[in-house]
Parts: sequence; C-alpha cells; structure tokens
Amino acid sequence: MESRVLKPILGVYVAAFLLFLYGPFVVLTIISFQQGPEGGPQFPIIEWSTYWYKHIFGLTPPSRIAPLPVGEALFRSLVLAFMTMVTSTVLGVMAAQAFRKRFKGASFVFYLIVLGMMVPGVLTGLGTSLLANNIIGIERHWYTTAFATHVAYTFPFAFLVMLAILNRFDASVEEAAWSLGVSPWMTFRKITFPLIFPGVLSAMLFAFTLSLDEFPRTLFASGRDQTLPLAIYGTFSVEIHPNIFAFGVLTTLFSFALLSVYGILMALSVRRAKKMAMQEDIV
Amino acid sequence: MAYDLQLSRIGKVYENGTPAVIDFNLDVEKGEFIAFLGPSGCGKTTTLRMIAGFETITSGDLLIRGKRVNDLPPEKRPTSMIFQNYALFPHMTVRQNVHFGLEVKQTPKAEANRKVDRILDKLGLTEVADARPNRLSGGQRQRIALARSLVVEPDILLLDEPLGALDANLRKSIQNELKLLQRELGITFVFVTHAQSEALALSDRIVVMNAGRVEQISPPRDLYTRPQSLFVARFIGANTLISGKVRHSGDGKVQVDSAFGPLVALEHGAAVAAGAAASIVLPAEAMQVVPASISQDEVRATYGANVISCHINRLQLVGHILQIALTLPNGDSVNLEGHADKYRGRLVAGAPGYIAWSPEAATLIVE
Repeated sequence: MESRVLKPILGVYVAAFLLFLYGPFVVLTIISFQQGPEGGPQFPIIEWSTYWYKHIFGLTPPSRIAPLPVGEALFRSLVLAFMTMVTSTVLGVMAAQAFRKRFKGASFVFYLIVLGMMVPGVLTGLGTSLLANNIIGIERHWYTTAFATHVAYTFPFAFLVMLAILNRFDASVEEAAWSLGVSPWMTFRKITFPLIFPGVLSAMLFAFTLSLDEFPRTLFASGRDQTLPLAIYGTFSVEIHPNIFAFGVLTTLFSFALLSVYGILMALSVRRAKKMAMQEDIV
Repeated sequence: MAYDLQLSRIGKVYENGTPAVIDFNLDVEKGEFIAFLGPSGCGKTTTLRMIAGFETITSGDLLIRGKRVNDLPPEKRPTSMIFQNYALFPHMTVRQNVHFGLEVKQTPKAEANRKVDRILDKLGLTEVADARPNRLSGGQRQRIALARSLVVEPDILLLDEPLGALDANLRKSIQNELKLLQRELGITFVFVTHAQSEALALSDRIVVMNAGRVEQISPPRDLYTRPQSLFVARFIGANTLISGKVRHSGDGKVQVDSAFGPLVALEHGAAVAAGAAASIVLPAEAMQVVPASISQDEVRATYGANVISCHINRLQLVGHILQIALTLPNGDSVNLEGHADKYRGRLVAGAPGYIAWSPEAATLIVE
C-alpha cells in the first residue's frame, strides 16, 4: 500500500531531478547549433549550423565577434587540475593511512582537514589573496596561491574517499606480508596500494573535476592569468554569443570522456575487488 | 639447551587499562607443537600476535632462539603467521602469493623458483599454481597460506585458528596433513584454537588460557586425565565436579566429605591439609553404572571404593554405544556412554542405581 503512494512520488522526484540535471545541457546543446554570426543565444533557432564550433577553433572568416579567449586558460586549468589531483590524492592517501591508527588529537586533525571543503570558497580565496599580498608579500599566480587553495579544497574529498576505502580494507593481508619478512613500505607498494587502487582512482577523479571548474577560490587567488572558469565568466560579462555554448558542449563531452576512462579503469580493478569480496563471503 | 621460543612473564595491558594477558610463562623446544586453547577473549590470539610482533608487549621478555625480540618489528622476526581468513593476496596468482616472500628477500631467481616449486608440489598445489586464490576451495586456500608461510623457512610457524573456516570433514583431513607436515619439517608450531578436539589431536603440549591467565600447560593426555584447575576440569572433556571438604589425608589417599557422603581420592603431588575445600573431578568415562539390585558393599568391592546412588533416567542404544542419562541425589544430571556389551540387559530406565569409580580414575583439586 505504501509503495502505491510512495513509488509514483519517488518516480516524479527522480524525473524532476534528471530534468534539472540535464535540461540546461540540452538547451545549451541546441543553442550551440545556432546559425552565426548573426544568431544569438535565443529561440527559435534561425537555422541549424556548426558555425560556432568552427568559430571556437578560428575556422570562420573574421567577424565582429572576437574568438573566445580560452586557449591559454584551458591549458592553465588542465595543468592546475592535474597538479591538484596528484597532490591531493597523495596527501589524501597518506592522511587516510595515518588515520588507521588512533593517535592523540585524531578527531581534531580530522575536522581540521574536512574544514577545507566546508569553509565558503570566497572566504578562502579572499583570505589567501590578502595573506599573499599584504602579509607574506608574494605575487598571486594560478600555480602558486590558487594551487594552494585548490589543494586545501580537494584534499578533504580525496581524504574522505580513501578513509572509506581503508575502513573496509582487511588489514590481515598486510600483516601476512609483514610476517613473511616484507618491509612496511614494500607491503604498501605491492599489497596495499594495488588493493586500494579503485579508491585512489575515485579520489583522483574528485580532485581533478573539482579543481577544473573551481571558481570562487580561484577568482581571488589566481592573480593576473585566468583559469578557464574565470575566462568564461569574463566573456559573459560583456555579451553572450552561442560560441560559449558550443564550448560548453565540448567541455562536457571532455568530462564524459574522462568519466569513461575512469569507468574502464574502475571496471578493471573492481573485477579484482569483486573477487576479493567473494573470498570474504565464503569465509 | 636453548629453547626455540621463550615467553617469560609476558603481559599485555591495553591502552584503556584492561589487561589482556597476565604473566604468561612458556618454554618451547624446537619442533614442538604447542596449542593455545581457551574460550574466546581469553588472550590466546593476543599472545600469538605478540609473538608475531603485531601487538606490543607491555611487560616481560619474548625470546626466539635465545634472542630477545620484544622490540623487533614483525618483518624482522623469524616467525610466520597463518590467518583464520587465510589473508591471501587476491591480486596475485597462487605462485605469486608463494613467491612473494622470497622475492622481497632477493633470493636468487633459480633458487626461489626451485623452493616455490618444491613447496607447491609438497602441498599438492602444482595444478592450480597459475589460478587466482579466490577461485579455489577453502582447503586449497588453506594450503596456499601454508605454502606461502613455509617457503620463507620460518623458525616458528604461528597459526591463528587455521581450521576454523573449514567444514568438519576437511578440517579432519587438513588436521592430519598439518601434523605430518610439522613432523617432517621439524619446525616449531604454535597453534591457537578454541576447539579442544583439535588441540588434543594435534599438539605435544596444550596451554589452556582463561581470562588472560595460563590455567595449565600439559601434554594432551595429562590435561585430559589430570586437570589442575576447576576451569580446566569444566573446559576439557566431560567431567562431573563433586565439591567437598578434606577430612584427612595420608598414605597418598585423601578422605573427602561430600554431599554424597565420604569419598576417597588420591593425592597428586603436594600434601593436602585437612579442612581444605576440594573438588573431585570425575570424568564421565570413569563412572561405572550399576543397578540398585546389587548391594552397595558388593559394588564397592567390584567397581571401586566410591559409590553414589543415582536415578537412571534414560537409556538409548546407538549402534554399539549405550547412552545413559542419570541424575545424582543433588539434582545434577550426568550423561555418559558405555559399550553396549558391558551393560547389556542389566540397567533399567526409570530405576534407581549406583555409580561407582576407583579413586585413581578421578582427580582431586584443592581450592
């Protein structure tokens, strides 16, 4: 009886959720195929064309609409996201590993780390910028101050992912390795790391994607050279043309590609993990 | 002669102040098969993990071949451990699992391969050498764990309830293999179990533990026939405990006043003071059941000096075994078994009878 009422409600809820999740993207995609250069970001579509895609890559004859200033910004964002991903994941794995043993002040340190994702980004960005400018007296750059804020922001995510993974990790395989005479470092490299790799992959994905579209912290902390989200925002404030939407579609496709790579890698290592789980079941 | 393993006043107190192991003393000779036996939470696994180096030792000295190893990390100790859940490396094949310990010790390739082949062959794993362990049966996995631990040639092999996850039949056969293997290799085995049948069948000596303390260290036969504490008497075998007070002792004999009247027991070792509280531990197999139709004096003469009247509740013949359930005058119920021929036609269910035993079959424990 309950399900007769509850099920439709949940169904509608999920439908609404999907609509809000993908609706904007669908609209964006449609408008990106607007005719150019006269067509603007509005309905109805005057004529379907791939003009704005060509425009991004500079394949259209010169017009009054300037090409998107995204080339360098995209490069910066990708490099920054990669640096952030590596740093945060390494820190996350190490911190989570440290938390496997109880130590004095563990819960304090835990909240200190998690604070990085709780504090409003604008405050972190502003604070970092003031600290750099007025107190330490260094110049702000995307690869220094902004990088620091990105790590502070994504490290907690990587940490929490790894904490969950290590929580379920059967420590007796490590003990077995030690008792065979294998040093702790070698045990971590050859036993622990391969077994927690799916988690590491998730932590990497979190750190990369969060850094790639990070806005408020970067806004204040990045200095002169802009990252991609800042560059896009910059073009918004002047005049909006469908080339931004075309660009949005391309970056979304890039994200999907990234997710697919993640999915494939995950499937490969999950197959291993599943076998492990089966082993546990039998035991 | 140096012992292979020595635990001298070993103690462990957890950080929150609860003692886990108290004053553990044990000397193990090379090639001995030792079992730690006790109910769960008695500290047997903690002790094993202290020997392996996984748990810190709070007090006392742990010596392996005469060398103090208290502060050595597990990878530097000449011990190797078998885990209850096998703890095999799921991302490696059977061969890689076994090879791993040699690989990190940088054993020359040819020698390592020879050793791996030999141990795989010995344990009948050659066929499955290239399979992943999770595709194999419990018994095979158990053998992989054994192969992996033995190939690094430890001085002492530690086994933490290694048969606990196997079904009864498999357990029996692996149990036999384990014993043969241990004899053949001559390595000291320390084996943790809560199953007394395993401990009794496998070990040279059994350490019975309770609440962090060692209750008794004895060969299986002694443990079974001569328990030294009430805990051991209750834990091992099927014993009936009769408490009483020592009236007097002499000539190796002890007179005990019990609720069932005066009983006779033997003195084991130290002299027993009159007036001390004592318990007679009476193994089920030492009791003779006699119908009440025979006079008590005749029973005493034929079956042993100690006689108690009882009520026979139930008789059940299972093949050649007669199962007897009876009640003592104080209400305690006792179940025992006897060969059918011995009792054929003599006992009647629902009738009174006697149980009798000779003093040497029972053990006196003075409290």
